Amino acid sequence: MMNSIRNYATAKVSKSIWTLFGILIALFLVTSLIDPYFFSIPSIGTTLLLAAPLGLLAAGQTICMLTGGIDLSLAMIAAGAAFIVSVKSSDGLLIALFWAFLYCFVIGSINGLAIGLFGMNPLIMTLGMNAVLIGVFAVGVTTFLKGSSTVPDILVTASTAIFLFDPISWPVIIWAVIGGLFLFMLTRTGLGRLIYAIGDNAQAARLAGVKVWQVQWATYVICAILGGMGGIMLGGQSGAVAISLANSFLLPSVAAVVIGGTSIMGGIGSYTGTIMGTLILTVLSYLLATINSSEAVKQMIYGAIVLALAWTYAKISENS
Amino acid sequence: MNLIQVKRQSWNFGIIALVIILGFWRISQLPEFGSYEVRTFALGILPIALLSMGQALIIIGGGINLALGAEAVLINCLSANYMEGTDLKTSILLVFVFLLVGTGVGAITGWIISKSGIADIVVTLATSFLLVGIAMFIMPEPGGGINQSLADLIAGKDPNFIPPLVWLILPILLIWIPLYRSRLGIAMYAIGSNKDAAFLSGVNVSLTRVKLYAIGGLFAAISGIVTTGVTLSSSPFANISNTATLNSVAGAVLGGVSLAGGVGGLVGPVLASLVLFFIPTILLGFGIDPSYSQIVTGALTIFVVLLGGILRRRTGKR
Repeated sequence: MMNSIRNYATAKVSKSIWTLFGILIALFLVTSLIDPYFFSIPSIGTTLLLAAPLGLLAAGQTICMLTGGIDLSLAMIAAGAAFIVSVKSSDGLLIALFWAFLYCFVIGSINGLAIGLFGMNPLIMTLGMNAVLIGVFAVGVTTFLKGSSTVPDILVTASTAIFLFDPISWPVIIWAVIGGLFLFMLTRTGLGRLIYAIGDNAQAARLAGVKVWQVQWATYVICAILGGMGGIMLGGQSGAVAISLANSFLLPSVAAVVIGGTSIMGGIGSYTGTIMGTLILTVLSYLLATINSSEAVKQMIYGAIVLALAWTYAKISENS
Repeated sequence: MNLIQVKRQSWNFGIIALVIILGFWRISQLPEFGSYEVRTFALGILPIALLSMGQALIIIGGGINLALGAEAVLINCLSANYMEGTDLKTSILLVFVFLLVGTGVGAITGWIISKSGIADIVVTLATSFLLVGIAMFIMPEPGGGINQSLADLIAGKDPNFIPPLVWLILPILLIWIPLYRSRLGIAMYAIGSNKDAAFLSGVNVSLTRVKLYAIGGLFAAISGIVTTGVTLSSSPFANISNTATLNSVAGAVLGGVSLAGGVGGLVGPVLASLVLFFIPTILLGFGIDPSYSQIVTGALTIFVVLLGGILRRRTGKR
């Protein structure tokens, strides 16, 4: 039974993964035609480097969407973690990281428990949480979180530096390790199965004895911690930390998951698809930057392409 | 009014009580209370109240439009760009054109959602990028203007508080009440509570949805034009559209519209936007950092939805 479900899910997904891969290659070639420099090892390295934080944020978003939820507070969770790391870095790196991930755990727990135990709508819960966090950090900057806004050097290295040889950089290694663990968790562990199960039919899962609230709690905590990692990496890449650090990554994190074929209704999708979505969006933003278009045109093309990809995807999965 | 009606309106009574308490609180902070203050209140809530109404309609119909703020920003930029330096007659003509544009944008959004079968959140997230892009294309920089007599018609000359109140109440009288009593209104509640059952009872689900998104777009367009009338300029920024969208959802939900669909009305969201307006101003009146108001607004939204969920479960109505 379990096996057949897995086969059904993977068969449906793998076909579209190849379509996405084709789109990625096409986009890559188009970008290379416009900007010949793009067709080189260093720029592939840069693309992967820039894709890593989005990949981590989108991983968090993937797991939420697989349960049929969404986390709109993810950008503030990410920015908050980066903020805490930079402010607390004077106490030592490990302590700073401890506070940052404790923060992620607490916020993820509040989200998850409110959604799981009290039946809050995920959209409203995380929207409200987003507003609360914006307020908390806006107040915190001048009071209890006063301090340095620069990220410790070692984290800057971990977010930007080359690892051994050129196209592979530290953030890509981190993304590969975390993403690999995440993929293993989703596809090969009980928790992963339960996440798919409650996304498919929470009522049926509950009747089958699954403690749905515990799964949702775990989901939002994992999402928040992945968000925190992505946020710290973003902070390292931009050097200095601000509250608005990850704001422009919230919608792409959702878009990457959706382009990757994860249903927002839950139960269908994979992280492999999300990785494709992340890479497509990163190459796309490079392409839009090379065309040297205005911010307005960029936004328009970005929106239109996300819509077109989602639509194409919906049609493909409808026919299969 | 019998017991059932009282029960049905209980949410509105709660919000009205909250508005009265917060209102008195705010008024007690002011040295004097006159027509100037009423006008400030009305102008403060007008754009967001209109947007919340549009969002409420769509949510009642079982959808959500995360591009509603972007639609308002687009119309704001369009009107500020083309109305600058026109005479009153042309401006009023343009108002109708822009209302049509807003309705059209809403209708297209609804059509895409129905036709593609993609989740509404995803479609509207993508169109929000698209629409803000178009707005920034039309008005790369903040600016523009509007005919002064038209602005006076929208916002009222200084102590005159009647026009903004009219623009607040008129859409309820002219759009909401006829809609509520029409077949479309019944279809709206039907597809919001149970889309499949509505379809099997002969409701044209796609068409109803397109119409609802169109009317939602109309409200967004009114909100955009009103913003131009109040601020006398345009602000083509993505974060303004995001904040407006979030506030419109918060307003609709605080106003008793269930995100599950099929429950609520348009009077609640108007009252809720008053609540959302009073909280920051009261805090400001105490000299508290306005950032705290974000915390209070967010926490209040969560708390109210939580409470509403528990109450609905207890009364057995989901």
